[in-house]
Amino acid sequence: MNKIIELKEVWKIYKLGKVDFPALSGANLEINKGEFLAIIGPSGSGKSTMLNSVGALDVPSKGQIFLDNRDIAHLHESDLAQIRGKKIGFIFQSFHLIPSLSALGNVALPMMFQGINKYEREKRAKELLESVGLGDKLNNLPGQLSGGQSQRVAIARALSNNPEVILADEPTGNLDSKTGEDILKLLRDLQKRENKTLIVVTHDEKISKQADRIAYLSDGKVIKVSKNK
Amino acid sequence: MISDYFLLALNSIMHRKLRAWLTILGIVIGVAAIVALISLSLGLQATIEEQFEAFGADRLLIAAQGFQGPGTASDGITDKDVEVLERMGAFKTISYGSARPGEVEFSNEVKFPSVFGGKNGKELLEDTTDLKEGRYIDEGDDNAALIGSRVADGLFDKKVRVRNKITIAGKDFRIVGVLEEVGNQQDDNTIYITLDAYREIFGQTNEVGFISAQIKPGVDIINLQDRVKRELKRSRGDENFQVITPTQILEQIGTILGVIQAVLVGIAAISLVVGGIGITNSMYTTVLERTKEIGIMKAIGARNSDILSIFLIESGLMGFVGGFFGVIIGTLLSLSIGEFSTQAGFKLIVTMNPGLMLFGLGFAFIIGMISGALPARQASKLKPVDALRYE
Repeated sequence: MNKIIELKEVWKIYKLGKVDFPALSGANLEINKGEFLAIIGPSGSGKSTMLNSVGALDVPSKGQIFLDNRDIAHLHESDLAQIRGKKIGFIFQSFHLIPSLSALGNVALPMMFQGINKYEREKRAKELLESVGLGDKLNNLPGQLSGGQSQRVAIARALSNNPEVILADEPTGNLDSKTGEDILKLLRDLQKRENKTLIVVTHDEKISKQADRIAYLSDGKVIKVSKNK
Repeated sequence: MISDYFLLALNSIMHRKLRAWLTILGIVIGVAAIVALISLSLGLQATIEEQFEAFGADRLLIAAQGFQGPGTASDGITDKDVEVLERMGAFKTISYGSARPGEVEFSNEVKFPSVFGGKNGKELLEDTTDLKEGRYIDEGDDNAALIGSRVADGLFDKKVRVRNKITIAGKDFRIVGVLEEVGNQQDDNTIYITLDAYREIFGQTNEVGFISAQIKPGVDIINLQDRVKRELKRSRGDENFQVITPTQILEQIGTILGVIQAVLVGIAAISLVVGGIGITNSMYTTVLERTKEIGIMKAIGARNSDILSIFLIESGLMGFVGGFFGVIIGTLLSLSIGEFSTQAGFKLIVTMNPGLMLFGLGFAFIIGMISGALPARQASKLKPVDALRYE
């Protein structure tokens, strides 16, 4: 299988006062194109830091991160922004929608930063919202949507620039279990249908059970990668 | 792209209505003050220039130097000086006269309007002021009086009409004409008679308040001004007089108006600066409030320059909206002050000034952008992870 992402000896060190705190301490991991990978581990083991580094939201202190064979660990801010905009789709635990924009506006926003014209943007945003079952909520503001609906909008937004990789940080953490299952099913279906690489950080066993592979993190290192049958 | 940012900025302003409007209000007040003050002083200038144009630029004014208190009359201008001018042969007409408040009785009522006695002044008056009714005074018509519009209507309880009789300092005069309203109280409150009649009733022999001499065509006014100064100095033996051209007076007034204008605009500019600081403050608060939003936008692909543009346009837009309402309010304010002033007897021509209005708009937009520059820069420099974590 093709690997799309590779982490080599990645370190991330935070300075807490005079003490250095390593969130990642030499993590290594390979991620294949089109797979569903779950990253699990105890709190503070560096799961979110790892996800943010892969998604070009954060820059590691040391090491290399290859995305499509290109080292993105030490790029300029505007290049990182390009990668986040084109290659990565983010889904967050607390949805992170822009409160002053409608569902349609939120889904169309990433396309605006890529210079796509208004007509194309709104057309695609509408299709995406319809595909996550929100065809009737296009003009609702985030405050008028339930948690599950908000996360669906966020999923549609993550897909808007048709990225190869979707990163989700506890995507069901703020949802009740029934809604969480629906969201997970939606993500799983999308990943299979459109052959996306899906990386999910989670505490939830229901999610990790469905993943193709599970990476276990402890003290900033990947200690085990197992395949799910 | 820019139009997208514009809509995004507009959307965000609309979502924090009250605070945005309060911030904008600061700019509205600043711009309105500047626009109103500038158009009022432009109006003042236009009004003065208009009155001088009617008076004519081909005239020399000769008057005594400085203040003339009682007992200094012998230092003043006299008929002798008029004769000196006449002998020079460079003038078409030499009009001269005196003015002072006089006791005027009409219909058993006594008032003290300004009384003006003039010689050769018919043409001058014809050029500057139109008649409402009747006629101007001819030379030698020593029983005739011509009255300003306020003397006719407003000074006395009863309206004064043509052919009515009034008594000035004990001598009876017949009204031969009423002048149109000039727009300044001094002139409208004046009674015109001949200089001979004036000297008779006020017991004067040869004193002259001022001379207004119209020069012959083709004569250089500045050159002539120097010659008049020399001639008068020789005949009088002193320099206790002044010879001025209307252009010089206009220039002097222009200088004074310029200083007043600078001071007024300076004061208004202070309020605009305060308005700008209001925008800066509001934008900093907005950056803080929307830190997470900035993080989100960065996470979905916004570059630093995108964030910078969005926030700059937002603050510029606040300035522009403030400028828009400021220009409207400032213009309406100056127009109504002009109207009010004219009705109250002080003529002031205030006109809409498109250039000034455009300037106000553009200036406010730029003030907004400058005020937003620092907060926008701060917003664009935020690290995406830190911004997303901000609560």
